[in-house]
Amino acid sequence: MEQLTALIIQKVPALAVAPWAVTLLLIGIVAFIILQFAMVFAGFGTYLERKIAADIQGRIGPNRVGPIGLLQFLADGIKLILKEDIIPTAADNHLFRMAPYLIFTGSFAAFVVVPFGFSLIAADLNIGIYYVMAVTSLVSIGVLLAGWASNNKWSMLGGMRAAAQIVSYEIPVGMALIPAVLIAGSLSTQDIIRSQGGLLGIFGWNLFHNPFSFFSFFLYMVAALAETNRTPFDIPEAESELVSGYNTEYSGIRFGFFFMAEYADVFVVSALATACFLGGWQIPFFNAASLPPVWANLLSLGVFMAKALALVCVIIWIRWTLPRLRVDQLMRMSWKYMVPLTFFNFLGVSLWVLVFKGKGIPQMIASIFG
Amino acid sequence: MSLKSYINDIWEAVTTTAKGMRITARYGIDVKEEVTIQYPEQRGPVFERFRGFLANDVKTCISCNMCVKICPVDCISLEAVRGADKKMVLVSYDVNIGRCMYCGLCVEVCPPKSLTHTGGFEKSMVARDEMVLHFIHEDAEVIRQRVARQVAEAAAKAAEEAKLAESQPKPAAPAAEPEKK
Amino acid sequence: MSATIDQTALPTQEMTLNMGPQHPSTHGVLRVILRTDGEVVVNARPDVGYLHRGLQKIAERNPYGSFMPFTDRLDYLASMNCNAAYAWAVEKLAGIEVPERAEFIRVIVCELNRISSHLISFGSFTADMGAFTPFLYAIRERERVNDLFEEICGNRLTYNYCRIGGVSADLTDGWLGKVKEFLDYFEPKIDEYNNLITYNKIFVGRLANVAVVSPEDCVAYGLTGPNLRGSGVAFDLRKDEPYSVYPKFDFNVCVGRGEKGQLGDCFDRYIVRIDEMRESVKILRQAIAMIPDGPVIAKVPRVFKPAAGECYFRAENPRGETGFYLISDGSANPYRCQIRTPSYVTMNIFEKVTEGLMIADIVAVIGSFDIILPEIDR
Repeated sequence: MEQLTALIIQKVPALAVAPWAVTLLLIGIVAFIILQFAMVFAGFGTYLERKIAADIQGRIGPNRVGPIGLLQFLADGIKLILKEDIIPTAADNHLFRMAPYLIFTGSFAAFVVVPFGFSLIAADLNIGIYYVMAVTSLVSIGVLLAGWASNNKWSMLGGMRAAAQIVSYEIPVGMALIPAVLIAGSLSTQDIIRSQGGLLGIFGWNLFHNPFSFFSFFLYMVAALAETNRTPFDIPEAESELVSGYNTEYSGIRFGFFFMAEYADVFVVSALATACFLGGWQIPFFNAASLPPVWANLLSLGVFMAKALALVCVIIWIRWTLPRLRVDQLMRMSWKYMVPLTFFNFLGVSLWVLVFKGKGIPQMIASIFG
Repeated sequence: MSLKSYINDIWEAVTTTAKGMRITARYGIDVKEEVTIQYPEQRGPVFERFRGFLANDVKTCISCNMCVKICPVDCISLEAVRGADKKMVLVSYDVNIGRCMYCGLCVEVCPPKSLTHTGGFEKSMVARDEMVLHFIHEDAEVIRQRVARQVAEAAAKAAEEAKLAESQPKPAAPAAEPEKK
Repeated sequence: MSATIDQTALPTQEMTLNMGPQHPSTHGVLRVILRTDGEVVVNARPDVGYLHRGLQKIAERNPYGSFMPFTDRLDYLASMNCNAAYAWAVEKLAGIEVPERAEFIRVIVCELNRISSHLISFGSFTADMGAFTPFLYAIRERERVNDLFEEICGNRLTYNYCRIGGVSADLTDGWLGKVKEFLDYFEPKIDEYNNLITYNKIFVGRLANVAVVSPEDCVAYGLTGPNLRGSGVAFDLRKDEPYSVYPKFDFNVCVGRGEKGQLGDCFDRYIVRIDEMRESVKILRQAIAMIPDGPVIAKVPRVFKPAAGECYFRAENPRGETGFYLISDGSANPYRCQIRTPSYVTMNIFEKVTEGLMIADIVAVIGSFDIILPEIDR
């Protein structure tokens, strides 16, 4: 950002009087673009979800609005905006209004460090992974608030479940991401992706680095599903038990916020998995740095989006296959299975990095053959 | 919990999930599995015995009241008067399709088979009154008066004929049948 | 699997929750008043009666034949069975001999309806457990059964097909072939369901050892049908008190085996229904092969007045024993018609088995008992 500011000031010297204004403007533009992306993705995500669900269930899915129903999400969005925003009289007015924003902020702030391309990242924070973990925790506060403020017992149960679930699954999520951090030696998402490059193609990915990181990927996906409240871990919403959980009393655009946050979360999870295990934007067998910057960015963006969307599809596919866990089983799964396994993996990767000096299996095989 | 059962638990969870996901994936990829029909454009078959809205052919109806008697929900209302030729003349025949449960008992019981089920099942209305299907469009009062007139005429004629034939006056027939429900 | 909470550590307060009458997984307008300690249910009291329509009184106000469409509304997922049960009851009362072809047709439609009813039970149960896809697969198969029914009787849900003394119309040409086609299509689907969801680890985990009903309790509380057989009691009216042409068929009575947990848990009740679908397929194949020609309805006077007397007839419906107790005073209307419905009886044990479960388990219990509200409240 500073470099870009410096560049613009260099080009247009008149702006030198207020460099902070340029920076602010740039931040605004970037934030706007990312917000737009998140919004559109949330819409597209709902479309994708409905279409895949329909395919799996032998139905057709949305096909009336726009070509093959592509504009369905616009219609849904307009409907949500036009709906009356009902606030129950018995609800805690301020908290009730605040909760959707907290959840919205929590999941959208994570987009800051999503590495969309070679140099397409809002801010390459040196604590990237850590930052994501931190801001997505905001969601649990939002959910708890939403559940509490609705003054509805079902909502409160949902909020409580959500808080317990998100807090317990933070640990396996973090632990499952650590192998990637260890291998790259950095918390920055861009550094992690750069460490997976090289001419090995897909075998340069952390996924194939060593057996522990391989399992880490799956553990991460499972834990992340739980953190985003998706089936089979959607007990906070659990439409067949808690009616709709914490968002029972919400309507109109406030409900829309919950909805968008859910899909934003799904994307962030897939993007992080892509960045940490699937090579991020690395174009197989190509060094992105050697291409002209425009092409490098476009290509890497395409590669990244393809991988992330594929993971989103998998998450949706899982949702439409599996039943839901019970709340005690969910907790047991976290503390008895996920936590020990991720710790075991963490240990394994640490030892691997220590013993083999950070070399992965494909790298070793490659070095045998020269 | 032994380590073996611990690992077995994980293994079972993974394999059963994979099994299920394979099935859903197969359905997801196979487009031929779609069973939905796009309703207003595509339509499913309407079977011959389909019990849709009731329709009464008032020309063949003999106003025998069987359908009214058998109907468990009293959705049919029938009014008839005795006509000049001693047959019943329908004054009104209404079916309240809001009440009708399409059980088909009335159709089965109908002696001249004038009451039938149509294949129709689509109807939307904005007022509750529209749910009553009228099979006689003429005003009931008009029919009643007309029939009464006919009966009176026939009676007068009969009286005249009788007078002519036997040249002996007879008391005139009653003007009209008392109204029936 | 009841979790315990240490009451001494923190002062906790019980919460009263209203589950229903509008709740997505109470299968209708059942209201369950839950007293919970957090997620753990201390007491769950079912409150029935939101769908009471006074069917028994309606029966007294209608001639015997005109009550037939109301039996459709008794258990709307198995209307054919209710139709047939009522018809058998009236025939028993009046001593009417039913043509054999009519009996065969009744058995065929009853077994088909048993399949479709168990399909809905399976589907809605899995939907309650959070897996929505099997529900739509079940609905898809049921549509085919509905198509078959529509062809012979004209309706898709409230069939009103049986008549006193037989059935309303003979089968259409080629209908039996279509049934066979459906059976060939349907049988492999059962294995698919088993692979998709039945033996799924999460699903088994949700059902095994939940709401165990001992065989003694089952008998004491009067549970019937798959709920009774799920506890390992091999009692099936089709075998133990044979009616109609059931003795001619060779089929097994499915019982719970305690496969994944204790005998009589939710999983056993669930798996009994899956197995019963296979048995129904077996019966159907035999019935199609054996069906004789002949009339489909006996000569019954139009104004039907059975001699004064009383009778009780019970039939094995998808949800258990449906009984009709009819008293005739020699007039055209029954003097009294008492209906024994399995779901209503099942609700008696609800409070006992749900003690100490979690809220999510309540949903599983309701689903595994496969209750249907019009039957509870009639």
